[in-house]
This record gives sequence, structure tokens and C-alpha cells, in this order.
Amino acid sequence: MQTFLQLDLPAMLAALFATMACALLGNFLVLRRQSLMGDAISHAVLPGIVGAFLLAGTRAAGPLFAGAIAAALVAVVLIELVRRYGRLESGTAMGVVFSVMFAAGVVMMEQAAAQNVDLDADCILYGQLEGILWLAAAGPESLLDPAALAALPREVVVLAGVLAVTALAVFAFRKELTLASFDPELATTLGFPAGMINLGLMVLVGAVAVAAFEAVGSILVIAMFICPAAAARMLTDRLGVQIALSLAFAAVAALGGYALAAFAPLWLGVDRALAASGMIAVVSGVLMALAILLGPVHGVLGRRMAGRRVA
Amino acid sequence: MATGRRRLLGALGALALLPVAGRLVMPGPATAAEPLRVVATTGMIADLVRAVAGERAEVVQLMGAGVDPHLYRATRTDMAAMLRADVIFYNGLLLEGRMTDAFVRVATSGKPVHAVTELIGEERLLEPDGADGHYDPHVWMDPTAWAGALTVVRDALVARDPAGEPAYRAGADGYHADLDRLHAYSKDVLDSVPPQRRVLVTAHDAFGYFGRAYGFEVVGIQGLSTESEAGLQAVESIVGLLVERRIPAVFVESTIPDRSVRALVAGAAARGHTVAVGGELYSDAMGPPGTYEGTYVGMIDHNVTTIARALGGDAPERGLDGRLAQAQ
Repeated sequence: MQTFLQLDLPAMLAALFATMACALLGNFLVLRRQSLMGDAISHAVLPGIVGAFLLAGTRAAGPLFAGAIAAALVAVVLIELVRRYGRLESGTAMGVVFSVMFAAGVVMMEQAAAQNVDLDADCILYGQLEGILWLAAAGPESLLDPAALAALPREVVVLAGVLAVTALAVFAFRKELTLASFDPELATTLGFPAGMINLGLMVLVGAVAVAAFEAVGSILVIAMFICPAAAARMLTDRLGVQIALSLAFAAVAALGGYALAAFAPLWLGVDRALAASGMIAVVSGVLMALAILLGPVHGVLGRRMAGRRVA
Repeated sequence: MATGRRRLLGALGALALLPVAGRLVMPGPATAAEPLRVVATTGMIADLVRAVAGERAEVVQLMGAGVDPHLYRATRTDMAAMLRADVIFYNGLLLEGRMTDAFVRVATSGKPVHAVTELIGEERLLEPDGADGHYDPHVWMDPTAWAGALTVVRDALVARDPAGEPAYRAGADGYHADLDRLHAYSKDVLDSVPPQRRVLVTAHDAFGYFGRAYGFEVVGIQGLSTESEAGLQAVESIVGLLVERRIPAVFVESTIPDRSVRALVAGAAARGHTVAVGGELYSDAMGPPGTYEGTYVGMIDHNVTTIARALGGDAPERGLDGRLAQAQ
């Protein structure tokens, strides 16, 4: 019980908050065909981290995190600019910006390597679920004990905040976001500043991505911007329903994936747990595959049935 | 369980009798008590703890044979073992690059978490050129420096389990004697290598302490961490060195792919100098468990014997105690 509270509960909460925040924003990215934004940002933060390291001269998490956020924001703004003024399709714009920024990061890293400093983005920026511990937990009563709750791991608190801010922002601007995602021209005609809304969404995506990388690692974040929203998209044409479904899928993937990684090996008699974030991403992929096969409207089976009815 | 532990101890040769000595001093209930639960990261540390604690501790070793500690990530199983443990030992000096955070966190809960290198004085640590305050973590390569880790482990175990103090002291003294014997042997056989050939070329810079202890020039193709890749320029200049000093052999490591070492052999061959691959050295992990090479003494014995023989020195084929596996 104590092991569960100290080890599994904080990891599951962090996974839950991170996947839900990513899935929520993923809905709009999927509609805009920008699903790979998470992947793009995971590469584009490198120059920010190296730059912050060279400036601050320390490997402390604070400055490097600030550098990563700054680079993520530069990346999303650049992607928007390239898309708009280069008149490029958004996939191309993302590809151009993130590969150039990643390359710049590698060049700067060589500079740091010349000073013989071992700087490993994998080490510094990307956390892992297994490392999130709630050591103050002594038993079930800790869940109600303010002192123990105050000692909840920083990642869980930060991700809960990120999820709350994201949910509030999406709820407050739901009309504007919807319109700007489906039909930016109409949005502008109606007097909504579609450009500003896009930019705001992208900034939010950048911040969520960096906060989540730092807690749960990159694979999970990249998958969670895409899979739950895409799976939900297979099942419905209504945005509200799609969002609700995507959040449900994210929660199932986070909790189910964690349980499979942590506990399933034990049931099978193997005493080595699997990597939790990898398993969560795999479960979200399985959910996506099921949605593609079984979706009533857009799924393979659904279309077969519809075809038969017409014939 | 007890026989398993005894077998491991048996592999330590002279040490096998030490737990018995401990029991004579501390008769009765002390041995019947629950063993301490100790977590150690690398095999070298686990070996040391087993020798000091004997049957008073159950040692969980996180990183097995052939695992690269620089890149190792903790699994949930490892974290659960750490939370259950009474004492945790890790190498420190950033060897376990991706687990350092986890140790710091577990330590804040008040559990004894010790870097075994914490008592080794700065003057005994190597600071590679321009590494800026980051010391070389591969301390175990020099048995005399590694003795510092023995003190940390002994004192931490005594602090956690004062009743076992005589046993821990006896265990530590026995291991210290083994380290001294190993060092004397190493010095002996490595001194038989002709001076101009005392150059050790390996894949990464794991042998700095070895080089200092035995007067070898050490050249690593990659940097200190296994992350960095070999540069073309570095390969070129090492080939030059091999040809110029007529060095007969270079070495591969058990935890690192041998691609860049093979490039050296090919490079030297192109310039008319034959370089052999002198054998596989254990750098960041020990040999398979249950074998002599799977112990610390066996690991260093294997390295020293392999290096001395390949570079033209005099060393018994089966090493210090004639227990090394037959060379292929």
C-alpha cells in the first residue's frame, strides 16, 4: 500500500494530467492537420537548452527549463510565420522550422562539447514517470493530511496546474477556437482575430509540451498530442463529443498503460517492470487502431455496413 | 537462499571464511535477525557490499553484466527496491547519469543513500582536461583508490546495524587484503610490459585511474561518457601513435560496441603495422554472474592479465590465482 502511494500513485497522476492536457489540445491540432507539433517542439527546444546552459553556465533545471520554453515559443511563432508568409502547408512549415532549430542546437552543442562538457538533453530535459516519487506518503491517511499533500512531487503539481490552465483557456475560447480551426477566413470576417487565436493556441501547445517533457519524457507527449484526438475523430463529427471522448481515451491509456507496464509483468511471473511511458503510448495506439476498425461512421466496419445498406 | 549467497562468497576466494569469523564474534541472535536490505547500482559495488556484509545483508544489484551505467534508466522494479531498502549505495561522480535525480529524491526521505566515492579525497580523483569540476567516475579501475569505497560501505553498514560492527570490520579488512594482493599482482605483471609499449588504447576513457596506478598512457577513442561518438580526427591521430610506438594491441570493452576499435586496426593495417585486438576488457560492468570474472577481483585480474599479455609483458595465462577462464 505504501509502495503504491509512494511510487505508483504520483506516477499515475502525472501520466493522467499530462496525457489529458496533451489530448485536449491535440483535438485542435488534429483538426488543423498539425498533429506533429509535439514532435516538432521536442526537437526545437534543443537550442534553447544549450543556449541557456552556455549563458547560465550551470546544469540546474531552472534556467534550462526557461531556455526550453523560450525555444518552444520561438518555434511555434516561426512555424506560424513560415506557414503564413511562405504560403506553405503546415506540415512543411513545421518540418523546416524544427529541423533547422535542431541543427542549430547540435552546432551549439559542439561548441559546448569543445569545452568538454557533457550535456545530454535526454538527461536534463526529459524526465521519466518512474522517477516521480511521493515519499511523504505513509498510508491512506496521507491523502487527507495537508503536510503530506504539500510534499506531493513538483511534477504532479505543475502538471495539474498546466491541465487546469489549458482546460480553462479551451473552455473560455471554445467558440473562437472552433471557428478558427474549421474556417479561419470566416472567423476573420466575423471579427474574431483568427491569427491571434492561432498564436495563443500554439503558445499553449509549446508550454504544455515542455512541461510534460520534463515530467514524463518525449515519446508519451508526442503520442498523446495525436492518438486520443485522432481516435475520437474516428467516432464522431461533433467537436464537443470528440473532445470528451479524447479525454476519456487519454485517461484509459494513462491508467491502463501504467498498470500494464508496472503490474502485468508481475502477474506473468516476471519481476522486471516495463517502461511506463512507452506502454501508455502503445495503449493509446491500440485504442486508435480499434477506433479505425470499429468506428461506426468513419471506421472500416462502419463504412462497410453503410456501403451494404446503400447497395 | 543461504547457499546462493555462500556460493557468491565462495567466488571471493579467501573471503569465504570471513562470515564464519563474524559469527564467532557475534554468536546467537544477531545472525538470526532479518538481513539488511541493501541496493547497489553496479556489480562492483554489489560485490564489495556482499564481501563486507556477508550474510547480514541481502544485496539487490540494479545493473547486471554488460549494462552501461551511463545510459541506464531506473525501472519501477528498481525504484520499488530502493524504497524498500535499508541502505542504498551508488557510485556517484555522475556515473549513473540518468539516475542521479532518483538518488537525491530518495535521500530526502531520510534513508541512508551513499555515493561510495564520497570519501575519496579530491586529490585522488582525476579531473580530465577541461572537464570543469566533473571528476572521472571510473574509480574502481585502481584497487588502491577503490579501497576508499570500502570505508564508505563499512561505515554506512555499521551506522545502520551497530550490532554487526565486528562482522563488517572483519569483512572489510578481508576485502582490503584482497585488494592489496590484487594491486601487488597488477603492479608486478604490468611492470613487465616494455616501457615504450605502456599505452592502453580502448573505446572510451574508462581507464584513467588504471593508467595512473600502473604508469600507462591511456587513450580513449570516445570521450569519458559512452554517449559521444569517435571523431575521425581522433581515430587518425591514434593510428599514428600505434604505428610510431609499434604498439601491438588495442582493446575492446564489454559494454560498448567495438566498431571504432576495429577502425583502428584497419587504419594501422593500411599503414603497414599489424595491430591485434588484445581482448575484451571489463570497464563499466563485470563479467557474467557466477563466474570468476563476475567478481571485482576477477574483473581486474582479467583486465590486468589480458593487457599485460597482449602488450608483451609476462603474466600467467590464468591470472592471479589461476582462476581466469581460458583465453580463446
